[in-house]
Amino acid sequence: MIQTVVKRDGRVVGYNEEKIKAAIRKAMLCTDTGEDEALIQKITDRIGMTGNARMTVEEIQDKVEIELMKSARKDVAKRYIAYRDQRNIARRAKTRDIFLEIIEAKNNDVTRENANMNTDSPAGMMMKFASETTKPFVDDYLLTAAVKQAVKNNYLHIHDKDYYPTKSLTCVQHPLDRILEHGFVAGHGESRPAKRIETASVIACISLETAQNEMHGGQAIPAFDFYLAPFVRKSFVEEIKNLEQLTSQDLHHLYDAELKDYIRKDLDGLEGEERMLQHAINKTVGRVHQSMEAFIHNMNTIHSRGGNQVVFSSINYGTDTSAEGRCVIREILLSTYEGVGNGATAIFPIQIWKKKRGVSYLPEDPNYDLYELACKVTARRFFPNFLNLDATFNRSEDWKADDPKRYEHEVATMGCRTRVFENRYGAKTSVGRGNISFSTINIVRLAIEVSNIKDKEERITRFFEKLDDILDLTARQLNERFNFQKTALAKQFPLVMSVLWNGSDKLDRNDTIESVINQGTLGIGFIGLAECLIALVGKHHGESDEAQQLGLKIVSHMRSRANEYCEQYGHNYSVLATPAEGLSGKFTKKDRQTFGVIPGVTDKDYYTNSNHVPVYYHCSPRHKAKIEAPYHELTRGGHIFYVEIDGDATHNEKSIMQIVDMMDQYNLGYGSVNHNRNHCPNCGYENADKNAEHCPKCGAKFETIQRITGYLVGTTDRWNSGKLAELHDRIVHK
Amino acid sequence: MTLRVLDIMRGTTVDGPGFRTSIYVAGCRHRCPGCHNPHSWDFEAGQEMSIDELMEIVAEEDFDVTLSGGDPLYQPEAVAGLAARVRSIGHSVWVYTGFTWEQIQQTPRLMGALKDVEAIVEGPFVESLKDPDLLFRGSSNQRIIYL
Repeated sequence: MIQTVVKRDGRVVGYNEEKIKAAIRKAMLCTDTGEDEALIQKITDRIGMTGNARMTVEEIQDKVEIELMKSARKDVAKRYIAYRDQRNIARRAKTRDIFLEIIEAKNNDVTRENANMNTDSPAGMMMKFASETTKPFVDDYLLTAAVKQAVKNNYLHIHDKDYYPTKSLTCVQHPLDRILEHGFVAGHGESRPAKRIETASVIACISLETAQNEMHGGQAIPAFDFYLAPFVRKSFVEEIKNLEQLTSQDLHHLYDAELKDYIRKDLDGLEGEERMLQHAINKTVGRVHQSMEAFIHNMNTIHSRGGNQVVFSSINYGTDTSAEGRCVIREILLSTYEGVGNGATAIFPIQIWKKKRGVSYLPEDPNYDLYELACKVTARRFFPNFLNLDATFNRSEDWKADDPKRYEHEVATMGCRTRVFENRYGAKTSVGRGNISFSTINIVRLAIEVSNIKDKEERITRFFEKLDDILDLTARQLNERFNFQKTALAKQFPLVMSVLWNGSDKLDRNDTIESVINQGTLGIGFIGLAECLIALVGKHHGESDEAQQLGLKIVSHMRSRANEYCEQYGHNYSVLATPAEGLSGKFTKKDRQTFGVIPGVTDKDYYTNSNHVPVYYHCSPRHKAKIEAPYHELTRGGHIFYVEIDGDATHNEKSIMQIVDMMDQYNLGYGSVNHNRNHCPNCGYENADKNAEHCPKCGAKFETIQRITGYLVGTTDRWNSGKLAELHDRIVHK
Repeated sequence: MTLRVLDIMRGTTVDGPGFRTSIYVAGCRHRCPGCHNPHSWDFEAGQEMSIDELMEIVAEEDFDVTLSGGDPLYQPEAVAGLAARVRSIGHSVWVYTGFTWEQIQQTPRLMGALKDVEAIVEGPFVESLKDPDLLFRGSSNQRIIYL
């Protein structure tokens, strides 16, 4: 006897025979003979009596079909079956529409959710099909009702929801030394420890490539200079050995010769050992340069994730002051300056200069010359960005100038901005750690909902109440996903969970990752502080001190709540100034549908990125720095300060250094410069003219480099509508 | 002392090294053909601003300063007064002028304006010599002269 019914969405409800009756009656009414109440009752009784205690909707419908077929009314059975089919097709119709959009390689916000991804390629399409069909599965089976409701009602966005069922984590900072020193196994190959710079740089690529397929976020190397430096020396020793062979001299005392710097020099006038030493240096520099060029080239051409996108890769460097480390830094910068292929700007890896007083910033610092070079490279190539190790929150007491592994105590960042440093469950470091998952709150919607409350104080109080509710829900959701992720087996992430992730070396491949996953962070993100403030007090934080104070109060509140969640759930929660790529238009669109066009709030196609001063607002870079700085301290999950500059940055490298000076002065954690760069693919001419579409020298169409959520893109064809609108509104800060 | 000011750009990077506070001074008689803002020729355009008012903005921005226009050297006393004040708080001053360095050197009144000025970008704009790739200049006859 049927007692309960399992509905299509998984809910279990009490059996109600009226539903069966209604369905049969409907089918009968479509026939010439019409309804037969006695038959309806007979079939319904039989199914109710003979069915199992718990049945699914489909199983019951199968039974109805059989009973109708057995009865005299075959016409009704036909109708019933036809109706069932139609309903099934209708249920799948939404999927069908989405599939057709992907198949036809249509450009819309479904296919352009991620600007770095080519959804037109077969592998890209395959990814997109999977992604689009996974999302409803996650909604129906993995999210709790409250979370699903919050997502549906536009309060919350769960990032990388399509990857949710895979239990993947977001990202990791690669401890490359572990791989370079011990070798590793990936795919079908085993790799021995690296012996020279060429192999070391290729292994760095493979590490990033492999891990990208095991995670849903970006991949970074936290100390590119420190990790590769030993292989510069090994390559130098190889060159000395070559000379020993050539000249039959014993030069082994030169193997560990103290070298001040690896700088290429003319051999003219040099003799004997001095000449040989310089020759070996020249050869070594050439090899390092080639290796760096190959590294950049590989990171821009080798696709991962089923061939649809290149790795979201980032490298941090700048603080290794050894001659070898400096050689790595110099050559990666020079290669970047030269560009790839026909001199085009390399989109990857994102490069990050670690700026530290006493090391890599002040004129008397050992790496000041390379810092100057870094600024010159940024003026032309947008990278490196600048990470301020001197910001109060980025310092570590464990950092010692004479510690060869001091980089473990230096903060490193994912280029997109994700920051992992503080740790309740182990050493404070970025190395071997990463984000586990993050979700973003639409604080604009919360503000709109209270904006009709007349009394300001009451309005703001009510806003904070709503914020608390959604914060609680977000923390719970992140914890729920965490509890799902932790059940993954180490073998599901062969490289990440055997070598890269801190503690993973102790895992057996069939162990769950539960014992190590807590090294990562859970990110509570937010978007649209500017619009939120306009909805609450009429102005944004760039134009009103009152708004700024309220903005700081809101984000401070989020931070203190995040700290409470750390205690409550026992994880590393942090607040993230969300880089909202796919999100910048989605929240806004839906809010406009609900609330209509609200001036300054929903009247554009996007919400302003996290805590940024709106891109359309005219202000000087110093004002922007002062306003945004205090948010960096509060958003430990990641943040970035952007300055848009007018004119040609290559004409004005001093302005780049001044931006870093402002970061130093106002305690900003991470920053970067946005400007315009046109490159002629035909003749190589470059300029910064925002209005130019064609090269003034040869007339070919310019390639223009732009930045989106931290990543550079050479074409805006793959930008979604929200991001395109934001780009259109970007104005220079002056 | 006052200066007739058309516009102030805070944090521009196109009028000299680094970020600069560029003060556009009203009035110019050079009337170069192809001038990119002829409305700046009018000596009555913009508004009078006192040196104190201007210094408040300069200090707030804390950047080096560029005087452009118009041609600031039609108001040499005010330029001299402002440049001295800017220099006293540790910032440099650049002046854009349509006069040539040779003309300026022969005119004590103009020379007097440049006592605290670090560099001038001099000479009229010549449309036939226009080159957008030039550093901080419009046409190739113009020169940057460090004083």
